[in-house]
Amino acid sequence: MSDDDWPTPMPRPGDDDENQGADASVFAVFAPPHDPLPDDTPPDDTTAAESPDETAAVPSGDDDDGEPEPAGAALSVRSARQAVPAAGSPPPSRVGSPMRGLAVPGGTDRVVGPRRRIGPLSWIGAALLGVWLVAMPLTSTVTELRQNTQIIVMVLAVLGVNIATGYGGMISLGHGVFVAVGAFAAAYAVDDLALPWIVSLVAGAAFAGVIGALVGLPALRIKGIHLALVTLGLAIVFQPLAKRVPAFSGGVSGRAVGAEMVPPSWFGTSRWAEGFYRYLICLAIVGLAIWLTRNIISSRPGRAMRAVRDNDTAAAVYGVNLVASRVSTFAASASLAGLAGALSIVLVPFTSQESFPFQESLVLYATAVLGGLGSIWGSVLGVAIREAFSRLGELVGEVGGLGPISEFLSLLDEEQFVFGVLLVALTFVFPRGLIGLFNRRRDTPVSSGAQNRTQP
Amino acid sequence: MNWNFEILPDFIFNGLRDGAVYAAAALALVLIFKATTLINFATGELAMLGAFFVYVLNIEQGLWLWLSIAIAMLISAAIGAAVERALVRPFDPADHLPVVLITLGLFLIINAVAGDIWNYQVRRVNDPFGHFPSWVPNGSELKTSSEGTIACLTNADGALAEVAPGTAGAEMCEMVGRTFFEVIGARLHYRTIGTWIGLALALIALAIILGKTKAGLAFRAVSSNTESARLVGVNTGRTLGFGWALASVFGTLSAALVAPALGGVNPNMMLTILIYALAGAALGGLDSLGGAVIGGLVVGLIKSVLVSWFGVVVLGQAYFSILQLAMAFLLILIVLLFRPAGLFGTRQIERV
Repeated sequence: MSDDDWPTPMPRPGDDDENQGADASVFAVFAPPHDPLPDDTPPDDTTAAESPDETAAVPSGDDDDGEPEPAGAALSVRSARQAVPAAGSPPPSRVGSPMRGLAVPGGTDRVVGPRRRIGPLSWIGAALLGVWLVAMPLTSTVTELRQNTQIIVMVLAVLGVNIATGYGGMISLGHGVFVAVGAFAAAYAVDDLALPWIVSLVAGAAFAGVIGALVGLPALRIKGIHLALVTLGLAIVFQPLAKRVPAFSGGVSGRAVGAEMVPPSWFGTSRWAEGFYRYLICLAIVGLAIWLTRNIISSRPGRAMRAVRDNDTAAAVYGVNLVASRVSTFAASASLAGLAGALSIVLVPFTSQESFPFQESLVLYATAVLGGLGSIWGSVLGVAIREAFSRLGELVGEVGGLGPISEFLSLLDEEQFVFGVLLVALTFVFPRGLIGLFNRRRDTPVSSGAQNRTQP
Repeated sequence: MNWNFEILPDFIFNGLRDGAVYAAAALALVLIFKATTLINFATGELAMLGAFFVYVLNIEQGLWLWLSIAIAMLISAAIGAAVERALVRPFDPADHLPVVLITLGLFLIINAVAGDIWNYQVRRVNDPFGHFPSWVPNGSELKTSSEGTIACLTNADGALAEVAPGTAGAEMCEMVGRTFFEVIGARLHYRTIGTWIGLALALIALAIILGKTKAGLAFRAVSSNTESARLVGVNTGRTLGFGWALASVFGTLSAALVAPALGGVNPNMMLTILIYALAGAALGGLDSLGGAVIGGLVVGLIKSVLVSWFGVVVLGQAYFSILQLAMAFLLILIVLLFRPAGLFGTRQIERV
């Protein structure tokens, strides 16, 4: 093994207690009680990580936790807490840097995917992202800062789609609904129930999660393109319905959020300081949510999720509870979208069904695929590319004095048009998403769920 | 509970009118699904584009309405075939993700382009089935009172208005009266009959094309088994393009039929119709052409009779009118949950 062949990302040994604490609490929600999928392979166990497909199906017997394996047992059943990483050679500490995720996007997908290496583009991308995150607030006006923070928040919604479609294999064209529900619920909690902001944000995400679980129920039976149809229907139906529930959504005129999130007085009192404070809060929450998502995905429920995506029958045979896995996947993805919605009312204290036309859902889905399904950093990339191109379009669209050409260029002002063209073009060039650029191997194993159908 | 059966026929006629439009749009979906097992999410937008072609040719260029519709259908067919050739054929039809993306992208592009060119106002169009010719009985004349005034049924609310003969009001009354006549106490609008005739003619043409022509035979072969069709020498690519062209024609038909009823054309006109059409297609079975027609008509009936008549009139709950879209969504959900093949579709057999 050469030096740059990192083992696929693992929880750092030092973090393990904390990691698994988090995982275990998530497990309470997500994992069926007796889930026989193997737990994380220990960090130094590169052989197991290198033969990922086998890991998914039949765990290798070389556990380090000292549990005696019954001879010839096909499955080893271990709980999350029992996965004690072996002392000894820990993985290189760089694994813990932010680079890790970007560099090894599919790393979170390691059970079914080939190992990936860090490409040079990833370093550039990470550096750009880091520079932007620091420089953007310092150089922005109050309005720009707010708009840019909203872009950061939308990463969560796209990530939500990615969880459902990329990791769960369930096409969702209706995630805008969950964003809206999260925004409405958080507004309701913070205004009508007078809850503190943090609680309201959690309430928004939780409520969206509950709705997502309900929507996930049909996904137990409906698969592939049929599910796309149902979720699209949901997205189209939602707006006119929300208009008629004024107590919740504010009806036709929308609802203003009375309680604004203000920084403590020592932080500063200018409007920019207020915006900067919200930026920091949103950035922290988005970062936390991404980190949690990553952990869930690379732990037991995440593996169950992907196993169900790739072949639900086989997953069920290995003891994955299909109902729990599908429903909780949808709930998790919806609550991420709901959190995005809840954060959006922190930034702009107003929400209305008008802000969530169903095209918004389509754009969310398309952004997730654009960036790359089955990869957390793909979602970040998707949002970044979408924004970059829509700004580029605006710039070009403003060029005037070219006669008939500027007539056409005025189209570039329209975000929808630019995005549509980008979508079609990139589907041709990178059918598996832009994140493929960053991987040396592009064969991310993503299926739409349609491939589950066995050919007769 | 107010079982007002007197007005039920009105609702049935309306339901079947809307249903015919949904049937045409559902056919556009099914023709593509049958051949490629893809759902073209841009169906509605392609149809909207067709309706705008009719608008441009007829209103802006002053061409005869029927000729405009025919030309618009041809242009739509060409666009449909071109879309298939350029954007859909390069992808593996077994993998839904890329093609879903492509059609979604098309959706966004067409919507934005139409919005850029024609903006989002509703633009009035001519109604191909506006008025009866003068030889048919006038619906309003039936109400002529003994005093010589005409009790005029205004089209908008069905209220009776007394007008003296020879005035502008009477002329208006005459105009409105010629848009419908009464059958079993209900108004049967010329527009309704026209929509049915339009759909029926298109269906006959479709049956002839699919049943009697070489291209139709090839289409049936490809939709039944693409691999085998290719093995016996059918040019599957060209046939799929043909299917997309047919689908676009039906989409344009549905948009042209529904535009006058919506008050005109605008870039978002087909959004809700797409949902009803999807419901109709799902109900009929996504790969059954006859099922799409029946499904579309049933969805129109359910929307009108079950929701508008039963919900609003009988139960007296005005909020039922907002549930029309939700009903379509529920219908899709229920059908796909409990009978994924719909009423007439082919059942998927899953072997493990």
